[in-house]
Amino acid sequence: MTVLPPAWRVGRVTPLGELHTPPRMTAALLRLAVQIVLVASLWHGLYAAAGTTAGLDRDQAVSYAVLAVLASRLREIDQYAARDTVIQHMHFGTIVYWYLRPMPPQRYYALRALGEQLYGLAWSLAGYLVCLAAGVVQPPASAAVAGVFALSMLFGQWVLYYVMLVIDQLCFWTLRNGAALLILIFAQNLLSGVYAPLWFFPDWFITLSSFLPFQATLSVPLSLYVGRIPLSDAAFQLSVQAGWIVVLALFTRFLWRRAARRVISQGG
Amino acid sequence: MNAVRIAWRVTRLNFRAQLEYRTEFLMMIAVGAIWQVSVLVFATVLLTRFTGMGGWNSSDVLLIPATRMLAHGLFVLVLGRIHALGRFIQEGVIDTYLVRPMPVHRQVQLQFFPTNAIGDLTVAAGLMVGAIARSDLDWTAGRITYLVAAVFGGMLLEAALFTVVACASLRFPAADYWGRWLEELLGTFGSYPLNVLPRAVGGLLTFGLPLAFVAYFPAAVLTGHGHDTGVPYWLAAASPLIGLLAYLAARLLWKWSLNHYTGVNG
Repeated sequence: MTVLPPAWRVGRVTPLGELHTPPRMTAALLRLAVQIVLVASLWHGLYAAAGTTAGLDRDQAVSYAVLAVLASRLREIDQYAARDTVIQHMHFGTIVYWYLRPMPPQRYYALRALGEQLYGLAWSLAGYLVCLAAGVVQPPASAAVAGVFALSMLFGQWVLYYVMLVIDQLCFWTLRNGAALLILIFAQNLLSGVYAPLWFFPDWFITLSSFLPFQATLSVPLSLYVGRIPLSDAAFQLSVQAGWIVVLALFTRFLWRRAARRVISQGG
Repeated sequence: MNAVRIAWRVTRLNFRAQLEYRTEFLMMIAVGAIWQVSVLVFATVLLTRFTGMGGWNSSDVLLIPATRMLAHGLFVLVLGRIHALGRFIQEGVIDTYLVRPMPVHRQVQLQFFPTNAIGDLTVAAGLMVGAIARSDLDWTAGRITYLVAAVFGGMLLEAALFTVVACASLRFPAADYWGRWLEELLGTFGSYPLNVLPRAVGGLLTFGLPLAFVAYFPAAVLTGHGHDTGVPYWLAAASPLIGLLAYLAARLLWKWSLNHYTGVNG
């Protein structure tokens, strides 16, 4: 029997779990398809009596909205059902096992997230190709735009990983924090442009979100894709994303170290 | 009468239990408010950027999210625990309910006090007051009565939809996944005139997933757009009644599903 490296075994937990629950996969497929149809219909309907709005024409707005739906698939796994979220481990006291295994908890967490994101990427890519073939999403304007978008999306997912990690790390300090988690998730969705492209919001809102890491997760890559952010600005935007990655990497590393001091095994 | 007294006492205890963690209590109120505000932000952004949406003026459109959000807030307060049934099944809580001398549905509703409903209802009530103040309509007793009926009808319809998902969860616990999607759909597509969507998609959100009956049809009837909804006027006007009938049907389905529930112990 082939012995798989531990990293591979941890990384494939999510994909295997999903593959063994066909109803959930069917639900995910149906949900994605319906959501894309609804979102595309909505933006087509809104633009029926309007021209270019907030610097976005109809095709750009539809592409942005559909790509946002596809991107949200990247980390939309139902971890709660698998009872492997940090908040559940804190609640049931099983977080201690993360510290008793021969793999550091931060590495376990990163590998689980990586497996999840790669699994979600397969869904998103398949959905993207179908939408592209159906003409729902416009192709990128040039190979350079495609390349910059791919790099920006990678950075965006990296930032998103750290944002979600900070939210999870909060559980080590607060016993009851469901509300804080929900607020942060709302903030992430609102300020990253999941609900509606940030370009439609008032100027003060756009300025406020430029000081936060959330827009780096989704709004920046999608705006690059649809051409709302020109290629000439791409280097600056990519460097801002890279800056957030570095800041959040150092911050979460610090939090992991502090969190470890709070976990007590077998009564101390 | 005794059942009401017990339910009231349990609710009071649940409320006191929520007060144990004061910060969490306040933040849960904020969660309700933020959830409603996020729905409102989406609707406002669309309203500001795309004026005259579907042939409605912005004051009329505002009545749709106001009705929906108030109905949602009441649902969260009164019947919202059904949303968490998937978790109760997974944690085995439902099995203990079956052996207690109180209906399972009531026990589910009395599981905890929904603190977030305070925030939900505060924002929704504020929006409703704003929507009525901005409206040019003559608020006669008949119109106000219909609006109240529409809010309760919307609450019951939302409860019916989540009860159907809960019934599916009794058989397939993973069906809980659908509940979150349903909540998202209601928030995203329930807050503006559905006639901006293509006819087929509007039909899907009327007869497939009947969210048009929650707020869009009642608001259309109140604002004089009742004949342009794509369904007969009487059907749009009967939305509150449809909410009631849907809830009664959902409770029958709940009863049937519970009788066929099999826990891990068989």
